[in-house]
Amino acid sequence: MDRLRQPLTILAFLGPALLAVVLLRLWPAVFAVDLSLRPPRGEGYSLENYQFIFTDPQFLNSLVVTAIYSLIVNPLQIAIALALAVLMNVAVPLIGLWRTMVLLPVAIPQSVSAVVWGVGLRPDGPVNALVQALGFEPQRFLTSPDQALASIILIVSWIGVGYWMTFLLAGLQEIPRTLYEAARIDGASRWQQFRYVTLPQLRRTLTFVLVANTVANFLVFAPVQILTQGGPQGSTNLIMNEIYSQGFVIGDARSAAAATVVLVSFVLAVVSIQFRMMRAPEDEER
Amino acid sequence: MTKPTLAGGAAIFGVVAATSLLLSAAAGAQTTINFLSAQNDDVFAPVIEAFEAANPEYRVVHQSVPFNDLNTAVESRVGSGDSSIDVYAADTPRVPAFASKGYLVNLDDEAEAIEAAVPNPVEIDLVSHDGSIFAYPMWTSSQLLYFNRELLDAAGIAYPDPAPEDRLTWEQLIADAEAAQAAGATWGFMFQQVDRYYQLQPLFESAGAGSGLTGDDLLEPALTGEKWIETAQWYGDLFESGLAPRGVTPAQTDDLFERGELAYFVGGPWALNRFNQVDGLDYGVAPMPYFEGGEPVTPTGAWALGINPHAANLEGARKFAAFATLTAEGSYLTTVNFALMPTNAEGFERYQGRLAEMTEKVGPVLDIMVYEMANTAVVRPRSVGYVAFETEMNQAFGDIRNGADAAEVLEQTENRLARLLARL
Repeated sequence: MDRLRQPLTILAFLGPALLAVVLLRLWPAVFAVDLSLRPPRGEGYSLENYQFIFTDPQFLNSLVVTAIYSLIVNPLQIAIALALAVLMNVAVPLIGLWRTMVLLPVAIPQSVSAVVWGVGLRPDGPVNALVQALGFEPQRFLTSPDQALASIILIVSWIGVGYWMTFLLAGLQEIPRTLYEAARIDGASRWQQFRYVTLPQLRRTLTFVLVANTVANFLVFAPVQILTQGGPQGSTNLIMNEIYSQGFVIGDARSAAAATVVLVSFVLAVVSIQFRMMRAPEDEER
Repeated sequence: MTKPTLAGGAAIFGVVAATSLLLSAAAGAQTTINFLSAQNDDVFAPVIEAFEAANPEYRVVHQSVPFNDLNTAVESRVGSGDSSIDVYAADTPRVPAFASKGYLVNLDDEAEAIEAAVPNPVEIDLVSHDGSIFAYPMWTSSQLLYFNRELLDAAGIAYPDPAPEDRLTWEQLIADAEAAQAAGATWGFMFQQVDRYYQLQPLFESAGAGSGLTGDDLLEPALTGEKWIETAQWYGDLFESGLAPRGVTPAQTDDLFERGELAYFVGGPWALNRFNQVDGLDYGVAPMPYFEGGEPVTPTGAWALGINPHAANLEGARKFAAFATLTAEGSYLTTVNFALMPTNAEGFERYQGRLAEMTEKVGPVLDIMVYEMANTAVVRPRSVGYVAFETEMNQAFGDIRNGADAAEVLEQTENRLARLLARL
């Protein structure tokens, strides 16, 4: 009796979650794949949409921009977040205040941050006033194809760094103090303590932050949409913006679905590689 | 003690439940009409109030989204069969694209009433596709050259002549704007709808470059002609030289003129209400400039009201849209807080009276617009490819404004559009 009842009980508890996964994740995914295979004119299935996007200079450019962006923004954000976490893990006066200040941008919606930074980075805006006061030439920021992507990276990092720092800080505080004491007794320097105690102990937290941050950065959309709409000259046309404008602005849902399938496959591939790379040697042996 | 408390709690619960039931029953008697537009709530508040007073069984809820998001909202919500939008504002050149995708109810059964209220066949044409009417014509637009009198005085420049036959050329305007900037204006000149095809099309038409779309169905891009490149480069140079600001969005341009930072400003009449409320802003209006040797051309067209075919409340939706566009009172009320011209003939009579009152302050604004509507207005290309075309053009103008080479950008845009339009 119990044996029979147990799977039912499990199913009852898992039911709502499973239903949500199917309805909110699997069904839309299947729908997107299906849509991506339907040609814009005519019936049946074909690879026409994929053919279209992979010969579209704008889509190809968005892949390049997304790759450059990801290669810069992820290491940058994690390095700064880790440095801040280590800094905030030390007992200094008013530590609560400092931590709050670093975390504060997270409490502001991305869209609001984007609008505020947009005004700040205007060629006649306050950031340029500061730049000029310091004796430099005024910069073009979001209106220059050479600086716009860097400006977007600045804005999303301003928001993201505090958030990821919080996870790393929690991870740091989990590391037993005895490990550091033992290392110090063995004569380890500060750097050696960081390299041989902190980093290995932080592996799990770092894996999470790396994966979650990578995915979040692949899906960055609001700042681009609000500030540049992918311009100037496609220099900030991250793939999410490309999909959005193709699907919802121009109204070509089928090529947007094809681009979505490409994005999801790519993100899954990158994330699985990351999981592999972050696996500890002792995990491999198991 | 426990028992009476419980009983009391039950009694209170009962009363609350009964009340909420009653309230929901009362609310049920009133049908809600959801209305989506890109205007602020205050623009439609007067017409909604009048409609609700005349039809107490309806409640109209206005949902306002930013200009750039309206098309997306229509595409994603109406396109996916969402029934929570009943009426929505559709820019007239988008009507063919929306109608061909099934986003608009065919209104042929009301054609007689619509044509009676809006006798101008051009306006009917603007809301039609394949010989059928698909939206209620609501407003049309024209364009004005606004100028800041104080900044012109400071530079010793004469005010532009308000007579359409003596309008400025762009060449003169730029020279004057440079002089005004040299005399202290933060910026010499700015387009209100910077980077938007609506306001920039007249530049290309005036230069003789054409609309940018050709072919029988207007589905072939033609952007790489010499005049297109020349005019686009002229546009880019305005910003390169620092006469006009980069990095300012169309939503922020009114502020520049309002704060007295701009000597000249080309914009629609809808800015009048706002500017008139600014203390100490001494400004006037004149006709939009044209290129020397070219034709004077002004933009036109504006929002119409479309009905979502999936609307939860089709009847109420049509009733409200008809009130706001086909009755003199309703159509006039849509312009009280937003000085776009009503297409409704009787609504326009009333609108005229109010605009004429502004003449003393800003110049013969009504005469200018009536002249432009009759003589210089050029509609945007009417094609099922217009949505894609406008999107790509706005992006191209943005790039050129930010310093990209005009010829290069136009060529890329033409190639991309040829591919996009071939998929429609």
